[in-house]
Amino acid sequence: MIQDFASSWHLFHNSYLAGWLIGLLLALIGVLVVARNQIFIGVAVSQASTLGIALTMWLGTSGLFSHLTAEYMSPVMAVVFSVLAALVTVSRGETGKETPEAITGWVFLFAASGAILIVSHSPLGLEEIHRLLSSSIIGAAASDVWIFAVFLGLTAIFIGISFQRLLLFSLDPAMAAAVGMNLKIWGLITAAWLGLAVGLAIRTSGMLYTFGCLVLPPLVAKSLCREVRAMFVVAPLVSLGAGVLGFILANHYDFPPAQMTVALLCLCLFLAWLWRRFRNELKKSP
Amino acid sequence: MESPLFLLKTEGLHLGYGRSSVLRNVNFEVRPGEFWFFLGPNGAGKTTLLKALLEEIRPQQGRILSDPKLYRRDNLGFVPQRCDLNPTLSTTVREFVLLGLVGIRANRRDRETRLAWALDKVGLVGKAEKDYWSLSGGQRQRALVARALVRRPRILFLDEPTKGLDLAAEDALMQSLTDLNRQEALTLLFITHDLTLAARYASHVALFHNGKVQGGPISGVMTPDRLQFTYGIPVSVSQEAQGEVTISMGRGRKAT
Repeated sequence: MIQDFASSWHLFHNSYLAGWLIGLLLALIGVLVVARNQIFIGVAVSQASTLGIALTMWLGTSGLFSHLTAEYMSPVMAVVFSVLAALVTVSRGETGKETPEAITGWVFLFAASGAILIVSHSPLGLEEIHRLLSSSIIGAAASDVWIFAVFLGLTAIFIGISFQRLLLFSLDPAMAAAVGMNLKIWGLITAAWLGLAVGLAIRTSGMLYTFGCLVLPPLVAKSLCREVRAMFVVAPLVSLGAGVLGFILANHYDFPPAQMTVALLCLCLFLAWLWRRFRNELKKSP
Repeated sequence: MESPLFLLKTEGLHLGYGRSSVLRNVNFEVRPGEFWFFLGPNGAGKTTLLKALLEEIRPQQGRILSDPKLYRRDNLGFVPQRCDLNPTLSTTVREFVLLGLVGIRANRRDRETRLAWALDKVGLVGKAEKDYWSLSGGQRQRALVARALVRRPRILFLDEPTKGLDLAAEDALMQSLTDLNRQEALTLLFITHDLTLAARYASHVALFHNGKVQGGPISGVMTPDRLQFTYGIPVSVSQEAQGEVTISMGRGRKAT
């Protein structure tokens, strides 16, 4: 099985590396999303970036952009729309006029319906949106590997430098404000970071893989860890482990790697829930 | 430059949100080592004033003066009314309390010393590795106080920290705070609805009513007529020979 995988390396190494780097990056950022109980924001932001891509395609087919420009603009629009969605869901949800869930739901539904409507008369566009929604990481280029490696490095540095502040901001905003942290600025920074990561990841790996890697590894870590700080180590390791195993199995049994990895992560989460339940029962027994 | 006598002083302070006004012309002075209680009905502006003192909101008018040597961010501690921590997230008492060190430079050894000191002060010695969610309500509230104390503050703001606690837990928490006030000369600003607590522990009281604040030493402010004006019901205050203060509210409700 491993030999099969090794023999496919020269053909698909960029896809494998990009997939693992995306998994590591999103698992790190996802810890903050899960800690703040904002899981649905992840899917809304992912969906918003598909709207950006759909809009670029429509501009390409309508003649406003050349096809080449549309090709280059596509990742930019994916990032712009996901950053915008993250900013809207975080900032509008915190004003108290409407619940964050309502804003997030609106963003998701608007983006989901808008993306399909915009490309519904273009067979190629519709196919591309379906590809993005169903996820396929095969086809990543060397540039994707570099982009995600750099972004992962920057994210790790950012989390390392501002670890305590990020933790306090995520866990107890009232206390964070009392010690002098500007909640608006921290909210914007984390939302923009999330939007940027999701927007870049969607273009390469699709919505299912992006959303799966954003929330499943941190949820597994949440069930296994006794402290939030440990989740920042365990979540990326779970993501990488599932990614490596998922790609090897998918290659051997000829399954799509993104779906295989997400299915494995779901299995990990189920086992982690069972483990937590077992651990809690053990604590209760005399 | 000589330090002023006060730690904190407000002059003609007007506070509010947007165009709405919550407090008008607030003038009071806090000196080091004083134990202040902020009393008043819901929505009277107690938390608004606290937010202004913590620089979370800006005055609409007037100013807040402070001793720059003592009233610094790293000298301030805050105990919120409740903690917004996601209850499905596991955290140990150690991790929770050390979150209070944000903005303070401390090496590993210093952090451990501060943690041990803070847990000792609130009676949670030996609980550092415990799951925060396995603690009782009273212990969690004391962990919140420990999180503020780990900063080694000179001034501690507490927003209804005894809300929801049973009598034993409330007494243990108040005893910890009184010890800190007396032994460490910690200045305390305490928001509560509980007149009895104020009568028992306060050195100074600020009464909030209808956008106004009357503050000063307890003997001058916590009088029956002022309390009746603040709460709108008859309140009588009497001091026993042993120094115990009795508060009677409304028709025959009594608390000591």
